[in-house]
Order: sequence, then structure tokens, then C-alpha cells
Amino acid sequence: MTDSPSETTDTPSPLGSFAADLAGDVGGERWTADNGTVHVYVAPEQWVDAVTTARDRGLNFFSWLSAIDWSKHVEVGEPAADGDDLEERYEVLCRLSSLEDAAAAILVTTLDKEQPVLDSLVPVFGGAAWHERECAEMFGIDFRGHPNLIKLYLPQEFEGHPLRKSFALGSREVKPWPGTVDVEELPSTTNPEAGEAS
Amino acid sequence: MTQLDPRGIVEISDGGVSVELKGEAMTLNIGPQHPSTHGVLRLVAEVDGERIARLDPTIGYMHRGKEKLAEVRTYAQITALINRIDWVSGFANEVPFIVGVERLLGVEAPPRAQYIRLILTELTRISNHLVFASSYPLELGAATPLMYALREREFVLDLIESVTGGRFHPNFNRVGGVKPAAGGGKTQKKVELDLPAGFYAGVEKAMDRVDAVCDELDDLVSGNEMIQARAIGVGVITAEDAAAYGLSGPNARASGITFDLRKHEDLLPYGDFEFDVAVRHNGDSFDRYMVRIDEIRQSTRIVRQAIHSMPSSPLQAKVPRVLKVPPGSVYVRGENPKGEMGYYIVAQGGRVPYRVKIRSASFSNISVMPKIAVGQLIPDLVATMGSLDFVLGDVDR
Repeated sequence: MTDSPSETTDTPSPLGSFAADLAGDVGGERWTADNGTVHVYVAPEQWVDAVTTARDRGLNFFSWLSAIDWSKHVEVGEPAADGDDLEERYEVLCRLSSLEDAAAAILVTTLDKEQPVLDSLVPVFGGAAWHERECAEMFGIDFRGHPNLIKLYLPQEFEGHPLRKSFALGSREVKPWPGTVDVEELPSTTNPEAGEAS
Repeated sequence: MTQLDPRGIVEISDGGVSVELKGEAMTLNIGPQHPSTHGVLRLVAEVDGERIARLDPTIGYMHRGKEKLAEVRTYAQITALINRIDWVSGFANEVPFIVGVERLLGVEAPPRAQYIRLILTELTRISNHLVFASSYPLELGAATPLMYALREREFVLDLIESVTGGRFHPNFNRVGGVKPAAGGGKTQKKVELDLPAGFYAGVEKAMDRVDAVCDELDDLVSGNEMIQARAIGVGVITAEDAAAYGLSGPNARASGITFDLRKHEDLLPYGDFEFDVAVRHNGDSFDRYMVRIDEIRQSTRIVRQAIHSMPSSPLQAKVPRVLKVPPGSVYVRGENPKGEMGYYIVAQGGRVPYRVKIRSASFSNISVMPKIAVGQLIPDLVATMGSLDFVLGDVDR
């Protein structure tokens, strides 16, 4: 994870000063403005207040809410860049934007791996209801105060949380992939399976 | 029983047990297989007579787990996954993801590639809205407009096919540009030959036909008293609800929100062209229909300007053959025909992303249904649902 540039940059970009202003208003701990995407990090206790403040400040369009599982061990896919130094956690992200101009930001809060609990945003944005249900079933995060936190996509009796990094992908267990036929292999490298096929 | 169905629906319909409800409440199941649901969507409606007292959409029948699958696919392979999210506008799904990867890599597609992306996105928008213009009147009982709209859509699909080789799932974008034209390959030297012969003339002809069918649809549908009676004032969504539920695209613009990502985001060079943001103010089903017809006209306008100002450049920027994307995260959103389509990509330096969050328009667009359906008549529910122009692949992802 990149550190906040706010302390190091002398002349912040327009996006950077927008992020700094927003972070000041919502009580953000730090912010980033890389790749044209503003992240403002807030404490989980201030989650609902921060989102409410951002909404009243003009970011009144609720775009999406989701999470990231930062884990040292990943069952499928590639591990995080930090390797063993990674701080294991869940990040919950909520993207808000303006309906007047291009202003937008992602509010981020960090949750404990053992007890991922967060206050629900449904009283602030009605549209958060479905997003939180999806986030709850996929990551096992409990949204306190959600009116109906049942599974959204998955069958109600489904066990496990598919988007957690500890959740294996069935088809990959049966058949490892990409296997020897790798579509991104350079043409010069020998590929025994491709040879057989042709 | 309650364990099987946590909403308690089984209790109500099965046992007839006393539940605190006014009058004779009845549970009506619409779908999962129902013509008005555009795929497999189940609506559990609690009805009081002809009026809906409560509506519970049950989604997930088409959940394909694309976010998990994206964690085991290389960046180049993910385009094949994501253009199947909203299969009516496959090409438009690809662009925000590819631009997101390009931003993380710090490359930019050459101007000509960007123009081709833009033209194909607008052709996709026309095609998507023509599907809507054909299916929506059908839901209101008018079968004829379908023939008119789909007839012209074929010309648009032929154009997309002539460039990309695919009608629905082009898989045409590459990180750093677009695919070389069919048959062109490495031997192709003249960049002007990247589009198929007769493409410009074909576009002119197709745009004329599309404009003409919009006029025909005005006569057949917009001015039709029966359609108006079914759609005007039905399923009103306020601008506040639209914002709070994340309604975007034509659905938000029908509620008076003058917001179009084509004017605010620079992932495609829309700034080079003159066009108006189609907006209507009543927020009802009729306005949601009309906004889309207005948008078709604006899109033909954009496409006409674009083919007359095509820049010359290669089709691809220099990009390593094996893509390793440096650590970082980016959110890129584009104006999909159905609304805000965006991808939040978390890269960790490898060949596959660590996490991809897919923000699809239809998911948020229909999440408002439980709120606006209350108090509606059942036939009005069909009129409202249809006017939201959703596709189940875009809802379930």
C-alpha cells in the first residue's frame, strides 16, 4: 500500500487538494490521490458520519460499496505485493460522486480480520442495502443495523464467503490453470502441449 | 419453513397463518422465467387486491462470480469475461476496464484507437437503445415497433461485426489500443486500411436509417395514446431517490439529473464532439423511454462527426507482451448505455489483479424497485420494470 503523499508533496495537484479538503471535512486519517482516484481513509467508528458528511458536501451519488480481503495467504490468484509484511485486514470501500461535476472519492475503512463489523449505511443511502448484502455474503462482514442482511446472490444455505482470499475456486482445484498451455507464453518458448495438439 | 425462506413468504402463502396484513394479502411470484423479467429474475410481490404492498426481487440466478474469476485471469483475458456482463452492449463494457489498466501502466492509447473505441461505443449505444425501443413497447402490448427497431439494429450490428468480427462480444480492445483489423496483421502498413473497406459509407447509410427509424418510432410509439396511457406518470422516480440508489445513465437523466459521464470523464475523446445531454424531467416510464430515443439521435450525431475527423496514428501503443501491472489501485467509470459502468482494479505487480470490483449499472438501477413498486398496480409494475432497461447479466455479474 502506498503512503499518503499529503505530507511529502509541496504543491499538491488539484485532485490532491480536493482529497485533502475532503479528508479534513470527514475526519479522514489520511488520503491518496494516485491514478486519478481519490481514497480517504476513515476510522470504522466514524464510518457513517464520514459518509454522511461527504454526501452533504456534494458527493450525493451512491456509486458502490465493496471490500478487499488483504491476506498473506491466498488460495487462488497472486499474493499481495507486501508478502509477509502485509497487515492482514479487510478494507471496506464506498464510492461517492457528485452529480454536478467530476468530483468523486472512495471512502475506505479498515476492519479487523477476527471481528469484521461495521455500521450500515442504509439510513444514509437507500441504495446501500443491496451492496451491503453482497459484501456480507462475499466477505463475511457484518453490517450493524442493516434491515435485512440475508444473502443476495447466493443460496441462503450457502456456506463460506467466496471473495475471501481463503476461499478456493472449485474449478481450479480440479484442473490447475493456466497449466502448460499459457496464452501469454512468448512464441519462442517451447510448448510441448501445443506441439502435440497441432 | 421459516428456515427455508427467511422472508417468511412461504408462511404467508402456504399456511395462511395470521400475519399482520390489511385485507386479503396474496403472494404473487413473477419469474424466474417470465417474459417481463428479461432473463431470470424472480419478483416476489405481496399484493393487496391489484396493488403491490411489498416487492422483493430475488436475484442471483445468473451470478457467474466474475469478480472471483478475474482474480485468476490475466488482464488481457479479463476483457473476454467482462464483455459478457451486459451482453446487449458488450463493447462498451470493455472500455473502462482497459483504460483502467492503461492508467495503472501509464500508457495511453493512440488517438486513432481512441476514436475507433468511441465510434464502436456509440454504435453499441444505438444498438442497445434500439433493443430497448423494440422490447419496451412489446411489454406494453405493441408488437409492431419491434420489427422496425430490430431491422435497423441489424445494420448497426453489421458495422460492429465488420470491424471487430463479433456482433455481441467483440473482445476488440487491447491494453494500449485496439486489435489490428481482421486480416490486417503485421503486414498492414497503411493505418487508413485498418477499418474495413466501405466502413465510412456504411456508417453514413446506417446512421440515416437509424435517424429515420427514430422518426418512425415517434409516430408509432411516442405519439401513441395507448402507450402514453400506460407509461406517463407510471413508476415515478425522484431525482433524490435516483442519487441515493445509484441510478445512473438514461434512468437518472429521465428524472431531471443532467449528468452524463461522457461530459465529465476523459477516458474517450468526447470533448472533440458537439452533442447534447438528453434529459427529461418527469421521472416516469414514458420519459425513460423518450430519453433513450433522444440519446440515439445524439449518438448518430457523434458518430457522424467522428468518421469525418478520424486522426491518423498506429492502433496500439507500445506495451510489453507479458503485462505486469505495477501495484496501485484505480477506479475508472464510463457511460455505458445503461449507466455508470466502472471497474475498481487493485494491482499488486503481477500478471493478474488482486481484486476487481465491477460496478454495473443495472444492479443499482433495479435496486430501487422495492421502493417505487409499493402501491403500484401489477400491470404498471411490468411497465416500470421494462422502462428501467436492465439486463440480468448486468445485475448478477
